Amino acid sequence: MKALTACSALFGRDLRAVLRSRSQLYSSVLTPLLILVFLGNGVSEGLSPARLSGGSFTAYLVAGAVVMTAVFSSTFSSASYYRDRDSGILRMFLSSPHSPRVILLGKSLAGILIGLVQAVVVLAVAAPFVQFDWQYGVPSGLAVAVATILLLNVMLAGLAQALASRISTMQGFHLVMNLALFPLLFFSGAFFPVDNLPTWLEILARVNPLSYAVDALQLAAYARSGHGFFGLGLDFAVLGTLAVAVYLLGLAKLPRLTWSGR
Amino acid sequence: MTGVSTSSALGAGAHAAIPAHAVAVQGLTHLYQDRKALDDFTLDVPEGSVFGLLGPNGSGKSSFITLLAAMSAPASGTVRVFGQPAAVALRALTGVVFQENTADPLMSVGETLHLAGRLFGLGGDSLRDRSRDVLIAFGLADRVHDPVATLSGGMRRRLEVARAILHNPRLLLLDEPTTGVDPDERRALWEALLGRQRHGRTVLLATNDLAEADAVCDHVAFLQAGRVVATGTPRDLKSALRRESVRVQWASPSPAQLAAIRAWPGTGELSLDGGDLHVTVDDAAAFVPRLFSLAPGTIRSVSIRQSSLEDAYFQHVSRRAPTAPVA
Repeated sequence: MKALTACSALFGRDLRAVLRSRSQLYSSVLTPLLILVFLGNGVSEGLSPARLSGGSFTAYLVAGAVVMTAVFSSTFSSASYYRDRDSGILRMFLSSPHSPRVILLGKSLAGILIGLVQAVVVLAVAAPFVQFDWQYGVPSGLAVAVATILLLNVMLAGLAQALASRISTMQGFHLVMNLALFPLLFFSGAFFPVDNLPTWLEILARVNPLSYAVDALQLAAYARSGHGFFGLGLDFAVLGTLAVAVYLLGLAKLPRLTWSGR
Repeated sequence: MTGVSTSSALGAGAHAAIPAHAVAVQGLTHLYQDRKALDDFTLDVPEGSVFGLLGPNGSGKSSFITLLAAMSAPASGTVRVFGQPAAVALRALTGVVFQENTADPLMSVGETLHLAGRLFGLGGDSLRDRSRDVLIAFGLADRVHDPVATLSGGMRRRLEVARAILHNPRLLLLDEPTTGVDPDERRALWEALLGRQRHGRTVLLATNDLAEADAVCDHVAFLQAGRVVATGTPRDLKSALRRESVRVQWASPSPAQLAAIRAWPGTGELSLDGGDLHVTVDDAAAFVPRLFSLAPGTIRSVSIRQSSLEDAYFQHVSRRAPTAPVA
């Protein structure tokens, strides 16, 4: 019970910190929206992508923009470990009668919620301007989208924690996160369909966890049928398994909790 | 520091009848990056005392505090806090003020206390009441809504101490709590801490400030290279010294002159610090004329004072330091 109270206190504190950091809040949502507006319209109008089922590249891009939001958000949220460590407040947390894992849990849950809300905001802001198909109906499609974003954020929070356990500086952490996640975004189906790619790229797409998040989001809001997609069953099996496994791995690997190590 | 002596009396009186140990440490060895931060460290801290840990930088003070707070584990030896092995659960009985500031500059004073209270299991009315009490005691009540970033250095240290005692810990661990704090702020902090907010708790103070330790502590231990080299009450440690301390500004005493001084009856410890010679003697009135006849015309000034805790410290600590002792 006391651990739960501590978790919720840290959760609330990190939420407040993000809400106060307007630049972080706005940039995490605006960047994917700007990509939707400029890249989406530019490619739709300039290149006429005939192979897309709806012909609208902007609608196609929404799933990728949502995944990108989750990636940005998890990176920013996890960087708060470094801020807390370097400002010294992490030492205060660790002098409280709770295990370091309780502290990490409270902080990471806040990061997951923030990532979820930001990604849903991107979806909500895009909805009035983009023709979604919602092949399972709006409520079910939304439920699929929210569940997908949630699992994706849990997985990314675990990945960020695991990386933070190995990397001692925030600059290094950002560099590695970008290096690891941006290539994954490129061949996840976020920017172009993966079903007609050269074999080597298709193989990379199939082993890429982000592909399954993009796939589920496109099935929920964009696709008119399941043809050419992995399918929700496989998407949730992969995302669910990875979310649990990577998050537990992240909790098992405590980040460097103090700069000096004392 | 004028307010401190009153507080010291409070501290000394509070523990006199209580023989139990708040902290009992036996044969402790602790490694920090392949270096022995603590080496066969043994110490008892009486319950209810204000106990000073004095030693140069790197002598193991902060490492010891980290171990008592169960934030790291020793390589060997035993650490008992109120009779129990130091463990995460015991942190509920402990409050820690770290050497560095650990308050989030973007949070308000009130939020800082609220978060700390929740982490230590307080909530509702008890958290509200305790927060109000410590804010008043530490002179921060009118800053409750202000971000920590807007506080002065002294106020931040007061907030750190207020936060550490919010949950009424039985043991308060203070790691150089007044570093960088001006005398007024320092006085306010100690008055609040050892006055009505004391509640009979044990205070362990790690500091480099010998005058502060002399004023507030009723027990001290001198540390060097991870070991306890002397322990006792400040009065006992001072009374073990020669009665008076003589400081001589003397540009270049020769080894033969120093050897001669050392051989005089009634001469105690001798140390050189730059151009200053420090000597403890039984009778300064007899020593000083003899000194002038030994080195006529080369001594610039002489000052005499009663022995202090600083003299006791340098007697135990300096003579083990590689650069300080006189050959």
